[in-house]
Amino acid sequence: MPRLLSTALSLRRDPRLLKIPPYVSAFCIAIGVVWLLLLPLDDYSRRTYVSENALLPGQVHTYFGGSEQSIFRGFRHEVDLLASKNNYEVNDKLESILTGFGVKVGRQNYTYHSAGEIYSGENVYGILQAPRGDATEAIVLVAAWKSIDEQLNRNGVALVLTLARYFKRWSLWSKDIILLLPPDSTTGTQAWVDAYHDAHDSKHIAPLPLKSGALQGALAIDYPFEHRYHELHIIYDGTNGQLPNLDLINSIVNIAGGQMGIETTVQQMAGHTDSYQDRLQTMLRGMLYQGLGYPTGPHSSFIPYHVDAITLQPTGEGWHDEMAMGRVVEGSFRSLNNLLEHLHQSFFFYLLMQKNRFVSIGTYLPSAMLLAANFTIMAIFLWVKSGQPMAKKGTADKPKDGRNLLSPLALVATCHSISAIPLFIFNHLGIKTLPLAFLLFSVSSTVLPAAFSFLIASLHKPTSQFFQLTKSFSLLILGVSLATLSTLNFSLAFLVGLLASPLTFIQPTKNLVTKAFLAILLILTSPPVIISSAAWTSGVAMSEVLKAASLGWNVWGMYTPIIVWCVWWPAWLIGMTNTLSPISKI
Amino acid sequence: MTLQSKVGVFAGAALLRLVLSTAFPSLPDLLTGRVEISTPVTSFKRLQEGLFLYNHNVWPYDGGVFHQAPLLLPLFSLLPDVKTWPIFTSLLYILVDLLSAYALLVIADSGEAGQSKHFTSPRRAKRSSGLLVAAAFLFNPYTIAASIGRSTSVFTNCAILFAIAKALSGSPFNAMVAISFASYLSMYPLLLLPPLVLLAYDRQSEKRRIDSAIQFSIRAILIAAACISLLLAMSFALTGNSWDFLARTYGIQLTLSDLTPTVGLWWYFFIEIFDSFRAFFLAVFWLHLVIYVGGLSIRLRTQPLAVLTILLGIFAVFKPYPSISDTSLFLAMLALFRHLYPIMRYTYVASATMLYATFLGPAFYHLWIYAGSGNANFFYAITLVWSLGQSLFVSDLTFAVLRDEWEVERPEMVGKEIRQI
Repeated sequence: MPRLLSTALSLRRDPRLLKIPPYVSAFCIAIGVVWLLLLPLDDYSRRTYVSENALLPGQVHTYFGGSEQSIFRGFRHEVDLLASKNNYEVNDKLESILTGFGVKVGRQNYTYHSAGEIYSGENVYGILQAPRGDATEAIVLVAAWKSIDEQLNRNGVALVLTLARYFKRWSLWSKDIILLLPPDSTTGTQAWVDAYHDAHDSKHIAPLPLKSGALQGALAIDYPFEHRYHELHIIYDGTNGQLPNLDLINSIVNIAGGQMGIETTVQQMAGHTDSYQDRLQTMLRGMLYQGLGYPTGPHSSFIPYHVDAITLQPTGEGWHDEMAMGRVVEGSFRSLNNLLEHLHQSFFFYLLMQKNRFVSIGTYLPSAMLLAANFTIMAIFLWVKSGQPMAKKGTADKPKDGRNLLSPLALVATCHSISAIPLFIFNHLGIKTLPLAFLLFSVSSTVLPAAFSFLIASLHKPTSQFFQLTKSFSLLILGVSLATLSTLNFSLAFLVGLLASPLTFIQPTKNLVTKAFLAILLILTSPPVIISSAAWTSGVAMSEVLKAASLGWNVWGMYTPIIVWCVWWPAWLIGMTNTLSPISKI
Repeated sequence: MTLQSKVGVFAGAALLRLVLSTAFPSLPDLLTGRVEISTPVTSFKRLQEGLFLYNHNVWPYDGGVFHQAPLLLPLFSLLPDVKTWPIFTSLLYILVDLLSAYALLVIADSGEAGQSKHFTSPRRAKRSSGLLVAAAFLFNPYTIAASIGRSTSVFTNCAILFAIAKALSGSPFNAMVAISFASYLSMYPLLLLPPLVLLAYDRQSEKRRIDSAIQFSIRAILIAAACISLLLAMSFALTGNSWDFLARTYGIQLTLSDLTPTVGLWWYFFIEIFDSFRAFFLAVFWLHLVIYVGGLSIRLRTQPLAVLTILLGIFAVFKPYPSISDTSLFLAMLALFRHLYPIMRYTYVASATMLYATFLGPAFYHLWIYAGSGNANFFYAITLVWSLGQSLFVSDLTFAVLRDEWEVERPEMVGKEIRQI
């Protein structure tokens, strides 16, 4: 053992050893990407299973049907009549309907300001008190007046009203059922959930007049059309990429598929053939939504409060009707009603490949961690390298005992502190000025590194050690942030890590061709260029993207802008500055 | 170093803290609630609870929440109510931080780190100025967080630094009084007494010199004992003529009966341990903490300041309720040994480890407590990493001190690779 150690120690001085880390970094990136591509294979993903025994999905007979259909038609008629009315008139009517069944009703006003626009409305909700409970727990049924696609959620609202009337007559509920009817699918639920947990900003959002117990789960119905449908689309992404417990999805898949014979699908993958391509596509779509961190439906607002929630959205042309949908909701509520404790048995971190196939965090996390590790490896390598005298040059002018830390630290600190500017601008400007601001920012973001490198060159004759150290610190921060992020939002960490991976390999060079190539590569992978090209490929106007990002920040506390502007962009800025800088002759 | 730059650094640090706590009024309360900053024996929130009971003429330890020294209560009841006038509490903490920085300035300017009575480092020429050391302490994010989080360990840190500064400037009496205050507040600084007595003995002023080491130590220990007894007697009178407060303050630290998570290594271990082994392992953990004092004081007899620094590092890792405030004290002392940096080997890895732990700790705590998607193991794993980073610093500093000493004995080995066999 001592001999082995001494060999290892003598190897430490070997100059060949210093050549290895860049390859290790590249290897980490390659493995990280390949790892992700392997996940859809049968050997790496697993079939889903219901872990929580109390749920017993699909074990009860559901009775919703028959004469309830006439009542449903009646309510749909009422909803149609209200189509052109304003929020308050709608709520007056809904309140009178709900009070008619003997449900206690509360209303809540809210106003959000974002990008110079005002989002306001009034939520109406009813609490159906459990005959066998003590109001310590509740399940929520949500139908927003406007669906996710901004259409009138006619069937959804009518179905919730019918179900409320139907549930009221059963004596088996042990948890209160809350019927929430927000005016839209975006801001309304957020205001309500915040106020339910007393976490609202009381200047803009009213408190709730009526409350029940701890929320155990929530189900939202997004059903705007009339015709019969083919399958149920389960939307499960929460704000900031948080996910509901997998057991909730499993139960619904089980109830809809096993009991009612309705196909279920995730991530808009209608006609999933369970092939590798389809699985990969499902997973990548899931990662994209998770990475954006943007809420995908009315259920999203519940998840940050540790309330497991999903939205059910019927899609396609088929033969299932609204009664079947009602029975799915009834079955799911009966399952949730059985719960003895909060859903906790199954996974909170997973990637779905198909409605019944998933990979858990232990299997997929290494790919993001490898991407983050590549930055840290390079950072440590550069630190070691910066401490070693230049090999070929004379020993006389070798830098005296190592490193001058102050100026590299100052540059890194400057770049990170100016990142507060885009964060502030894009979250506080009005919608009219946002596109212009983005354009100006993109231009200045491209010019800034050139200015920086000019300044550095004229101020204090930078050595290659200076660049090694700035890059080392910047990559260290990037690596640490991404490693932390990958435990909170895997997909975002993976995407940013992948897009920032060229930063590992850039360095100041004298060769003009290489320099131009590196500069172009970096410009292509700069945050503004990536954002605008992503918007362009998905066919969304840039102003819409900026508006949505601002809304996400101001309403849902979405932290994606922090990651982009305060983690990724400063790292890119330092990388670009290093590329453009003239290397001095020592 | 001019007076201007001194004033600049101190005013800047004070202003930064003041701006942070007034511009973000929710920040102090947020930081006070963090387990990384507030431990059961230093938490400001718990102090408020004790203060409320005290002001309502109830025995302050009745709530079972407050575990801090009783004399803090009259001090804080003098301040205006913290809910209506938070500024006065902030000012007190800022003042204490500035005093600590001043003590550090004195310590650094004494040059003791590089040249003590019995040992002169060949590298001593390269030392950091006192101002730089003070600035490194004042602008360290951990110090700022502990100060804004109003952890009462700030007072202990200040007392420890003053004890060292006074010992260096040749006033053993003041040093003993200061260390008594620190020990009274947090108990563990009592373990610093042996190296501190040695330090004070080495740096006695010529006028009132006591040549016999034994005589000097006995006098010093008697002074400390008298001072601590006086403080305890005052506490006795303050808490309704009863000694019960001892069990509720120092007893909690000795028996670890409050298992609130901290950044240390004890809480998880004692949650998991079976009750029949609890007493044994408590003894082992405490013995482990105490055992370094004698060994280090003897081995590094010639450099008592290094002993103090290494001990502070060890305490920040292994004491029952550590927080980042203890780490900030260790890092501040570490800055004194600028001349040893070239022979320290793992500074970058250790800093990177601590940086990782600083980021991952709050994230994992969030996953455990708020998101509910993680569990206690997540946070405990990261406190292990945190402790690893600190112990790397401690062992690296010890290595550098020993190597420095060794190179004086063996000048032919300067700059050569060495390895342990």
